[in-house]
This record gives sequence, structure tokens and C-alpha cells, in this order.
Amino acid sequence: MKTSKLMVLGLLISGVSAAYAGNSPQTVAPGYGALEFSPPSVGSYSLPAIGSADDGNVLTSDGKPIKLHSLMGDKPVLLSFIYSTCSDINGCPLATAVFHKIKNRLQKDPELASLVRLVTLSFDPGHDTPDKMRQYSEGLSGNGVDWHFLTTVSEQELQPILSSYKQNIQKVYDEKGEFTGTYSHILRVYLIDTDKHIRNIYSTSFLHPDTLINDIKTLLNKNESSDPRLEVSNPLNPYRPGDYKTSYEKTGYVTQSLALSHRTGRSADLMKRVRTPPLGLPAMPQPAENKVTNEKIQLGRKLFYDRRLSLNNTFSCAMCHIPEQGFTSNEMATAVGIEGRSVKRNSPTLYNVGYSTVLFHDGRESTLEQQVWGPLLAHNEMANPSIGYVIDKLNVTDDYAEQFAKVFGKGPSMETLGMALASYERSLVSGNSPFDRWQYGNDKRALTGAEQRGLTLFTGKANCSACHTIGSHDALLTDNTFHNTGIGYLEAMGTPDAKRKIQVAPGIFIDVDRDLIAQVSEAKANDLGRYEVTQNPEDRWKYKTPTLRNAALTAPYMHNGSLATLKAVVEFYNRGGIANENLDPLIQPLKLSDQEVNDLVSFLKSLTGDNTDELVADAFAAPVSDAD
Amino acid sequence: MKTKMIKPAQPLRNLLKVSFFAVSTIALSGLGSLSVQADETCMSPYMAKIVGQEDFVYVWTLGMEGVGDEQDKLVTVDVNPKSASYGKVINTLSVGGRNEAHHSGFTDDRHYLWAGGLDTNKIFIFDVHTNPAKPKLTKVITDFVAKSGGVVGPHTTYALPGRMMITGLSNNKDHGGRTGLVEYTNEGEYVSTYWTPTDSNLQGAVKTGNYADGYGYDVRVLPRRNLMLTSSFTGWSNYMMDFGKMLNDQEAMKRFGNTVVQWDLHARKPKKVLDVPGAPLEIRCAWGANNNYCFTSTALTSKIWLIYEDKEGAWQAKAVADIGEPSKIPLPVDISISSDDKMLWVNTFMDGKTRGFDISDPFNPKQIYEEKIGAQVNMVSSSWDGKRLYYTSSLLANWDKKGTDNEQFFKLYHWDGKALKQQFAIDFIKEKLGRAHQMRFGAYSLYAANLPVQQSVLAKHP
Repeated sequence: MKTSKLMVLGLLISGVSAAYAGNSPQTVAPGYGALEFSPPSVGSYSLPAIGSADDGNVLTSDGKPIKLHSLMGDKPVLLSFIYSTCSDINGCPLATAVFHKIKNRLQKDPELASLVRLVTLSFDPGHDTPDKMRQYSEGLSGNGVDWHFLTTVSEQELQPILSSYKQNIQKVYDEKGEFTGTYSHILRVYLIDTDKHIRNIYSTSFLHPDTLINDIKTLLNKNESSDPRLEVSNPLNPYRPGDYKTSYEKTGYVTQSLALSHRTGRSADLMKRVRTPPLGLPAMPQPAENKVTNEKIQLGRKLFYDRRLSLNNTFSCAMCHIPEQGFTSNEMATAVGIEGRSVKRNSPTLYNVGYSTVLFHDGRESTLEQQVWGPLLAHNEMANPSIGYVIDKLNVTDDYAEQFAKVFGKGPSMETLGMALASYERSLVSGNSPFDRWQYGNDKRALTGAEQRGLTLFTGKANCSACHTIGSHDALLTDNTFHNTGIGYLEAMGTPDAKRKIQVAPGIFIDVDRDLIAQVSEAKANDLGRYEVTQNPEDRWKYKTPTLRNAALTAPYMHNGSLATLKAVVEFYNRGGIANENLDPLIQPLKLSDQEVNDLVSFLKSLTGDNTDELVADAFAAPVSDAD
Repeated sequence: MKTKMIKPAQPLRNLLKVSFFAVSTIALSGLGSLSVQADETCMSPYMAKIVGQEDFVYVWTLGMEGVGDEQDKLVTVDVNPKSASYGKVINTLSVGGRNEAHHSGFTDDRHYLWAGGLDTNKIFIFDVHTNPAKPKLTKVITDFVAKSGGVVGPHTTYALPGRMMITGLSNNKDHGGRTGLVEYTNEGEYVSTYWTPTDSNLQGAVKTGNYADGYGYDVRVLPRRNLMLTSSFTGWSNYMMDFGKMLNDQEAMKRFGNTVVQWDLHARKPKKVLDVPGAPLEIRCAWGANNNYCFTSTALTSKIWLIYEDKEGAWQAKAVADIGEPSKIPLPVDISISSDDKMLWVNTFMDGKTRGFDISDPFNPKQIYEEKIGAQVNMVSSSWDGKRLYYTSSLLANWDKKGTDNEQFFKLYHWDGKALKQQFAIDFIKEKLGRAHQMRFGAYSLYAANLPVQQSVLAKHP
């Protein structure tokens, strides 16, 4: 006791400046010296609650039994656990020295002093009797400062307090197994608010009067709720991909990333365009047994963004069909499924998917209701082990069972799940693009000169419209059939270069040996296209014609995502595709000039619907459900 | 390892050596809190640490299809040379599923080990103090994504006083790289989410260069400077993707972090976004009392970067050395700083090498040693005295090498200051365990109160 008291007081008197001298025997904690940094200013930060400050039976230094909570609730409390004989300079004496410094500050600021309480509680009731605590407090407590020195009746009374404050105390024994009178412990001081919530915990490296006083003032600050983290420092279009990588190939690349906290949206009337198709699109086909209703759309929408629809709760439909990335993924050429399993083809966009008569790149499904089960059950996509597994899971998740019953008159089933998801997909209608207004709206200002020239090429010299159909009343921009462009052939039959150019940072590329890449590559799945469905050799490497609506939003392109830009796609066709025995005869070298290539690209960019932001905003408003 | 110590930290280390605790292998209480440490040395400054011989290494191990029970597990290896089971696996604890087991970290009282799964976002909390030889799974956090508001990929679990700071790698909206930090109490209760600054919301931080990508990876702190640093890797789509597939995907290769963020540790607010292109991964801060700098290495551009406080008190980033031949993409992965701030070990995954850099002059690291550890190598963990270096093989389940190059091991080497000498190796495939990833040390001496009488001899080492 005497030693410890001397030590504490000695430290206080000397200011411990000597401890920083070069040959000092000890390095002492920051709390003894001047703070080495400017603390964040009062009220500029928040101190979230990190647990409750529990009650307990304690004794005052007068020996009076009280509840620990009787010292909490009316004002913020700093609570320190110590034992009076502690000789670890950076342990209990530090806590007491810091409290002493705070006391001195409070004496100079009586208003603040009246608003805060210091509590020092011993965890050595065997030695630290109330009388010992009274002696310990001598020279420490001061007028006008509310500082209590507490102990407990016994270790039995102490233990629940220690365990609720997670103070792990270990008695240190000597080689003979006798208690040395010292304890090993992690020094902790607690800041407790008037709701008896712990708002900060300080250990040796953090304990400093300046930061503690600022924290108290921050707690007392009435304007604590102003959270500068919500400030918008740079308004950017919130409905485009959040991770902006345009010009990443150049050294001058500059990020324009969007904050996830700003990814909030607004629900839209998704039935509107199902009822009345936008300019340029026909009426939405609806199966007689599954007419689209708003209730079905809403249920399908919830399912679409629910990551629990996969075996390990990590994959919703929207993880590959990302709304702000054109309802596909701009971030990879071919998809990955759960556990990172490789999917061999590019995620197709879901814009206007309701008009598709063939689904998947190889056309192996014909209705959306059936199609949704493909990804749900594929081992390399959402990996649900069975249909029953999905249905059983839905029946015990949220209020799905009730919602299904309300919408379909029966619970989740193979049929109703497909009907709900298909209904949401049918609502992702997007037309009335500049092209539509030009072509079908008689708006002669809708297309620029370059776009008009591009359209002329599209339907003329370049003959794109032979497959990407434009009708007299509307345009799906796909023939819903299959063609061989040579891209699939090259991948299956070609021999790649010995080196691969790989980008390692903005503007920095390295030519890497294929052998090195092979060391970390799994065997790649082959892809034979439409042949995989028909088994007809003539269908080798044929893939479905994708719609070109919203093509500007759906990079990268082709069934394997191998072309990064629309310009690369036009240049590919300008070269006449890749020769192979099944190359579609429609694909011929086009002999387009650079100007014509650019005009075609301009035209393709005029195919973006007028409501994509609205659909993305609606998607942002949908809940993203995760495991609970 | 050189034992000559630099001035500022010397008194403390001497003090630690003559620790008055009955058990001399550890430093506890406030004493430990002042020094930063090496791996034993790379953990949080706020916890007890082993300064003598460690008894155990806990290896957070990825389940592997076709190997043993195929699921993630915490593997306990006896590493005390005085033990009869030295160099042997003495316990395995399977947790269910393949979660992309990755990193782990102790709470500040070192009673619990938190181990994250980058894929399923589960955090497994193991009691390592009741019986350090046989950790027990006491809690699994399953709602990390929901609670955090969409952070995916719990990576570093870093001890702060009474709390854990957890870095994310991704998010539940696009599985890309934008993410944040998530704070939990030691009891496993969610506290708060801190989003990494992006252009549309820099949150008051200064974008010092071209990038504010919002990506995340590792976190380290220097409390005396009120400094918290985070680095940046890549999102779920890439870290879960087959490595070869990703290297061949030009879009995917654009999705890597190029930033280190300086945060106000006390306020948990970002202050400065520094350009560090090429995926800066592990951060290791120097621990000399006046050494205000940290190192990181960039995985793709193969450089050592120094993050340092300049004379004006501003934090800066500078590329200070190449690692191997960057044009061959050696892929630097884990790094480990020695307790005297003299040596930085850097592992390169592709060539399976560990490289020792002399960092006496932090602005001019020089490679002074290299050794091939295996066909592939990822993690390196150093004992407090730098004499023992442990190595494991796995980087990420789908990034590990394929075929016979997919060696999975845990190896101990001794370092005498001149050369590494292998002591033992455990083949994690032969033992039906899986992919060996991150290592944390355990010792009976940390939990004196729980020390079994018959085992007390283990804790006593000179």
C-alpha cells in the first residue's frame, strides 16, 4: 500500500518527464505526458454504445454498502478498476494518475466538474478495505470533483462485477504456489453514459486526460447526432455502376466511385410498362396461366434480391444480374457462382428478357418460369441441392409462406416460385430510347447525325439488322435464334498466345507467360454452344442473338464476355468474324471505314431506354436479404 | 535475426525480459500495451503476448473438396520442442462448410480467437484460454452482412480495447471491392460500420491522388499517433474466382484496390486517401517508440511501400523497393516485421519463396536473403525473438496452385541471423486437413490461472 501510494504520488509530482529521458529504465504510457496528437474536436465524432454498464454491490470508502448503479444515470461516469498495491507503472497507477490529471482540470472548470463522476473500484477486496481505499484517495480527491473510491466486501461480491465488465484478473503466484500479492490484468477504463451504456473503453495506449475529457464533452454535446459521415462531397449519378473503371487502362485514370451508403432508391410502378409498352416495344407476352400482377412482381422482386436463395446464403439472382450494371455484370467476362465456381458464359442482361422466346445463350429453356430453376439448382451458380430444399427454406424464411398464399392462393412451390420471379423479370421493360423516338415516334431530333448514319449502316451496309431485328412497329433487336460468329470456335479450337497481357494497376500492363497462369488455372470447361442442346454438329458454337437494347450498359460483350467495348464488337464484325466451317453466312467482312465504325457505335448507344434509372432506383429500394 | 536493438524500444524490451510475473514467457497488463509486436509480432498492441517459447500454433485451415471431412477447421499444432507431441497436430476442430477461412485474431485479453470466412461471412469465435491445447467453438456470428449494412468478406479481426475491428473486402450489392470496417464488442455484438471513403462521399477525407476506390483489406493502428491504416485488395467476385480465369479476364483485373487510407483512430474517421497502386495487402507497423512508419506490399505491382509520417506530421506513401522481378508477377503476399524493426520478411506466392529485407533504413529496404519454402507459400509468422518462422501454403481456395504444385503445408524454420533451417513440416493434405492458412500462437503461460499442474513445465523456459 505504502509503496503504491508513493508511486502514484511520485508520478504525479514528477510529471514523469524523466521517464522519457534516454536512459530511463522504463518507457511509460502516453497518459503521463503531453498528448502526441491533436485529438478530434468535441462533437465531431460519435461514440456508439458498446454494451451496458452493469450493477453490483460495492462499498464506499466510508464502508457504506451501495449499488454501483447508484453512482450512474445522472451524469457520465469514468470507471477504473485498480488495486492499490499495483506497482506496474503502466497499469493501475496510470489509471489513477490520469484521473488525477482530469481532477485537476475539472477543478478549473467547475461547470464541467458538476457534470461528470470519477469512480475507482478495487479488484483486491482482501487487501483494499474501505479504510485502505480512503487512505489511497488521500491527496487524490479534490474539492468540487465527484470522485469515488470503492471496494467490495469480498471476492464473491466482486466476481460478478468483474465478469460483467469483462475484467480478466489473474492472481500471480510464485514458484512455491503462493500468491505474490500482484495481479495480471488488462488495464481498462470505461466511459459510461447516463443510460448506463458503455461508450468507450480505454487501455494503456489510449488512456489520456485530453481524449477522455473530449469524449466526456462529446457525450454531453447536445448536437452529437450530427454525423458528418453522411455528407455528400461530390454529387455523381447514383444509378450508374458504383465502381467506375472508365479509362482504367490509362495512367491518368481517376476514380469516381460511389458511396454504398448513397445506394438508396425509390420504388416505381413496375406494372406501368407491362400494361402499356413503351415506344418501340410490343405488348409484353404473358402466359395465360401466369398473367402479370403487381403482387406477383413485388413478391418476385423480393425473391430476386434475396441472397438466402442459395445454399450458403451468399447468392441472389442480383449478384450476377446487378441492376446498376445493366442487370448483368460489368465486372467480369464470364460469371462465378457460389464458392467462386466458374460459369462458362457471360451473364445476359435482363432488360426486356420477357420478350425472349429462347433463354440462356444456348436456348435450352423457353419460359422464364422454368428458366429460373436453372441457376437455382446449378452446382456452379446458386447450388441449392434440390427443389424441395428451396421450397422448404422459403416456408421458414420471413413471411414468404404467407406472401405466396396471398398472391397465388398456395404456398411456395416449384411452380409459384417460377411464376413470381418471372413476373418481376417481365416488368424490367425498357424502351422509348432515342432510336425508338426517331423510328417510331417521328421525332426527327431524337438521333444525332452520327447516330442517323449509324442506323443507316445498321440496316444497310453492315446488315446488323439481319439478326438484330427492327420491325415496322417495334424492334426487339434480336431474331431470337442462333448464330455462329466464330467466337466460340476460337475459344474451343484456337491456340492462345504464349504470353498474356495482364493489367496490374491503372495504366500498367505486364506480359505474363501462359505457363505461369496455367499453374493457377483450373481446367476450363469447354463450350459448344447450341450443339449442347441439339446435338446437331451444325449447331456447334452457335449462340443466341442478344437484344441490343441498352447495349451501352451491358459490357462486356459476346457469350463469353471477350469483347470489352461496343467498338471492339463492331470491329470484330467488320473483320467478318472468325472463319470456321459453321460460320454464319451472314457474317462477312464489312469494309467499314473508321468513321463508319464510330457511327455504328454511336447508334448502338442510342438504344438505351428512357427508364433505366427508374428501374435501377426501384431495384435500390428493394431489400437485399442476408442470413440472420 | 540480429539481436542488436534500436534505442527507443530497448528499455521496454529489457523490462519485458525481466518481467516480474511468475511466468516469464509472456508480457501482460499495461506493459504489453505500449509496445507493438511482431507476429506474435503482427497483432494488436492491446493484448498479452508471448515473449518466450510458444506452445501452440493455431492454423485456420480451409476445407478442401476431396480431402478429409472437406470443411474448414482450426488445427492446433504442438510447437514446444520440450513436448512429446512436438511438431504434431494435437487437435482439429471442424466448423462446418467451406467458408473461405482466411484470417484470425485474438481479442485484447487473448481469451478468444476470432476467425473469419470470406465467402459465407461467418465469424467463428474460439475459446483458447480455458484449455489452450484444445480450443472450443463458443459462438458463430452468422449475421455479419445484415448487421453491418452490407459489408461482405470479414478479413482482419483486430483487437482494440474491449472490441474487435473487422475489415471487409466486399459488399452484398455488387460483390465488388467497395466495403468498410465493422466494429464489434468482444462479446460479439455489432457496434458500428465505417465505410471506406469514396469519391461521392469522402467523409471529410482528402483524396491526395487519383484514387478513392473505397476498397479494403488489412487494418493496423499506431495509437500514439492516433493512426489507423487500411489497405485495399479486391471484391468477392475476384477473391473467390479461379485465379487463372481472373488473370485472363481484363474486366476483373481492373477491380483491384489502389489505395491506403489514413484514419483518425479515435474518431474512426478517414483523413487521407493515399495512392498505392497494385493491391496493397498486409500492413505491418514498426514498433520502435519513435518509428512512425508502417510497411505494406502491393500484390500485383510487387513493391514494398512505406507509409510514413513526414517532418510536418503528415502521412505519406512511398514505393521503396521492388520484390523479386515485378515483370514475372511473383505475387508478394504475407509480410512480417521483426521486433527490432530491422528485418521484413516478404513471401512471394508464385515462386514459393520467402525473402528477407534489411529495413534498417526504412526508405531503402535491401533484400539480404531468400529461400524457397515450397511450390507455393503464403503466410509467415515470426516468434517474438525472431528465431522461429512458421510458414503456411494456402492463399485462397481458388487461387492456390493446381495439381501437384498445390502443396499444403505448415513448416517451422529456425533463423540464426544468416540462414533458415527447416525443423519440421506437416503435410496438410496427407493429414486430411485441407489448405493451411493463417497462424496464431498460443501458450499456457498466457493463462496462468488455467495452467494444468502437470503441464507447468511447458511454460517455463529461460
